[in-house]
Amino acid sequence: MVVSSDLIIQVMIWGLYAGCIYILLATGLNLIFGVMKIVNFAHGELLMLGAYITFTFYAVSGFNPYVLLAASLPVLILVGVIIERTCFRPILGTGKLNEIFISIGLIYIIQNAAAIIWSDEWRTIHSPFEHITLKMFGVNLPLDYLIIVITTISILIVLFLFMQRTRLGKAMRATSQNRKGAMLMGINVERMDMLAFGIGAGLAGAAGTLWVVSGQVFNPYMGSIPAVKAFAIVIIGGLGSIPGAIIGGLIYGIAENFAILTLGGAWKDAISFIILILVLIVRPTGIFGESAE
Amino acid sequence: MKRTLGLIFIVFISLVLIAGCTDEQPSGEELKIGVVASMTGSASTTGKDIWQSAELAADEINANGGVYVAELGKKIPIRLVQGDDESTREGGQKAVSRMITQDNVDILVGGFSSAVVSAHQQIVAEHKVPYIITGASTPIITRRTDVDTTYMFHHAPTCDDSGSQITLFLDDTVRPAINEKFNFPAERPLRLAILYQDSPYGKGHQDAIKNTIANNSLSIQIVAEEAFKMGESDYRTVLTSIKNKNPDVIYVTAFLNEQIPVETQALRDIGLNKVFTAVEPNDDPDFYKGVGTYGDYSIVQSRFSPYTVPKGPTEAAYNKFVTDFDNKYGGFPGMMGVATYEGVYIAAKAVEDAGTLNKTAVRDALATIRMQQMVENMQNQTISFSPDYRESKFELTMEQLYWDESVKETRPKIVWPESLKETSFVLPEWYEPGQD
Repeated sequence: MVVSSDLIIQVMIWGLYAGCIYILLATGLNLIFGVMKIVNFAHGELLMLGAYITFTFYAVSGFNPYVLLAASLPVLILVGVIIERTCFRPILGTGKLNEIFISIGLIYIIQNAAAIIWSDEWRTIHSPFEHITLKMFGVNLPLDYLIIVITTISILIVLFLFMQRTRLGKAMRATSQNRKGAMLMGINVERMDMLAFGIGAGLAGAAGTLWVVSGQVFNPYMGSIPAVKAFAIVIIGGLGSIPGAIIGGLIYGIAENFAILTLGGAWKDAISFIILILVLIVRPTGIFGESAE
Repeated sequence: MKRTLGLIFIVFISLVLIAGCTDEQPSGEELKIGVVASMTGSASTTGKDIWQSAELAADEINANGGVYVAELGKKIPIRLVQGDDESTREGGQKAVSRMITQDNVDILVGGFSSAVVSAHQQIVAEHKVPYIITGASTPIITRRTDVDTTYMFHHAPTCDDSGSQITLFLDDTVRPAINEKFNFPAERPLRLAILYQDSPYGKGHQDAIKNTIANNSLSIQIVAEEAFKMGESDYRTVLTSIKNKNPDVIYVTAFLNEQIPVETQALRDIGLNKVFTAVEPNDDPDFYKGVGTYGDYSIVQSRFSPYTVPKGPTEAAYNKFVTDFDNKYGGFPGMMGVATYEGVYIAAKAVEDAGTLNKTAVRDALATIRMQQMVENMQNQTISFSPDYRESKFELTMEQLYWDESVKETRPKIVWPESLKETSFVLPEWYEPGQD
């Protein structure tokens, strides 16, 4: 096969798009883990809920689905807060096994609830910009993907500013670094848990919205595969590290697409896990991970 | 205390007595058909179609007095027993075991997904229960040698049948149209790309295409063969790779949730202005809704379309079944539904032919059954099972989709075979042929 520079740039662009969805999902997962030290296996279901909330708002209002991100994001944050308050807070600190089973149970509960509410048929949304394709660097770039990349970068900048510049963000970081120390400094760590889970769910919801506007189909069971990949990205980037999630997401998205191009579609998932194994051998704590925990 | 204990004792005895009272008729007084359907889990939409269609068929037969059994000298009613496979292999094994050993069903009908059916075939084989499989498409279902499949009958188009008919259509209709429109030599081979699900289903189609080309010496050159993982949603890179190989046509073996993003991403993101073909499970209202304008001029194989009825002997039966189903349950029954509807009738006919509920006799009756086609078009207009692998043979059609502004979706018209076609296949204005 002739691999031209145009082809490489084109595949890089597809990898970048895939990376955006992974980054949002993995960042949310990492935020929750960083603050609460729990692994939320039902994180993919929050992505699915984000897709359905956007779909519902779109069906009701007919608005531009990108605009509806502003509406679906708060709903997902609220869902995250409710899950944290009702499911995780009561069992926090009672043992990892309880946390694992709660989150696995949530997968089934959320999937079945979604199937009852929206049915389990495959759904789609058509973006108003779906017919617009730009020519950049000699390759096709659908406008939707440009918007998705810009939206992801914007969300990450807002998150960065929130974490670095606001009192709440600093309190969350303090809780993440040393929970007891944060408590001694008067930080309400339970409030930080709630906030972290809410923001994490919101990021997953944003990933869900961007997933549907890019022309992907979805049903109540679609969250599992992206969630597994988000977990792998979190491990590659380093548990609890947001920059790690961003770099890991990009590596994953681009590597997967180059594997498809060179080795074939069947290698897509395998290459991701080969990278995971290599990273763990060379640096067991992940790229940006610290040697704690 | 004594009074409380006495009360508990009375309640317990009452419960035991109530548990013993069922409306079950003594054995032989009814034909018990076990319906293997995915009532829960990821395939539950199809599972409900299967169950409801079976119910419709049983109700119709019962309304006409039931099934005549010569040995009993009377007609007996059909009672359906639901076996929810939970859309999983393990669920299927549990459901089939229960239906055979506890419900004592006389015959099984249904079974969706080759993987799920394969997993419970051993149980069916051990108990020698006749099984009319209506929802799996891998030919291996009745061709495998590690399990005794002699009691199993396949009433669904196999990958071989489906792949062969699409390939023949491409050779005798699409290839000449491309060569004529672009002034290519008539003998120029069609440049075909195959994009297939990395599963027995996808590989079955891949093999069928190659075998059909070889066996019929077709002028088709396979220029690309790309696989994707089941359930994949991002096809941009694999389609970019296919574009690089310059095909005329892209033959996609995918389910609805895969076919929609394939066509959308190919035309929108990659600029792959080619003819796409979709295999028969995609002829579903959700496909038309999901693919939108990107389905325009694409090809969908069909055996039971939601939007077009093949003119001819099955037209009236099609309309009746679709209307009755819609009136009773609302919506469209789907192809797995119609096959199961026919499956219940096939089961009833086999019992009548056998004149007994004896499973071996019913199995023998199935092996030699000859029934007039019902809702779906069958080869020779007859439902019968091939003597080698006990497969019924369907007359599949190829449809081309055209944008319909009034419904804001595409709608199909049959373009193949000649005997059933409504219009001729056309290449769209934007079509670009592959370059040698």
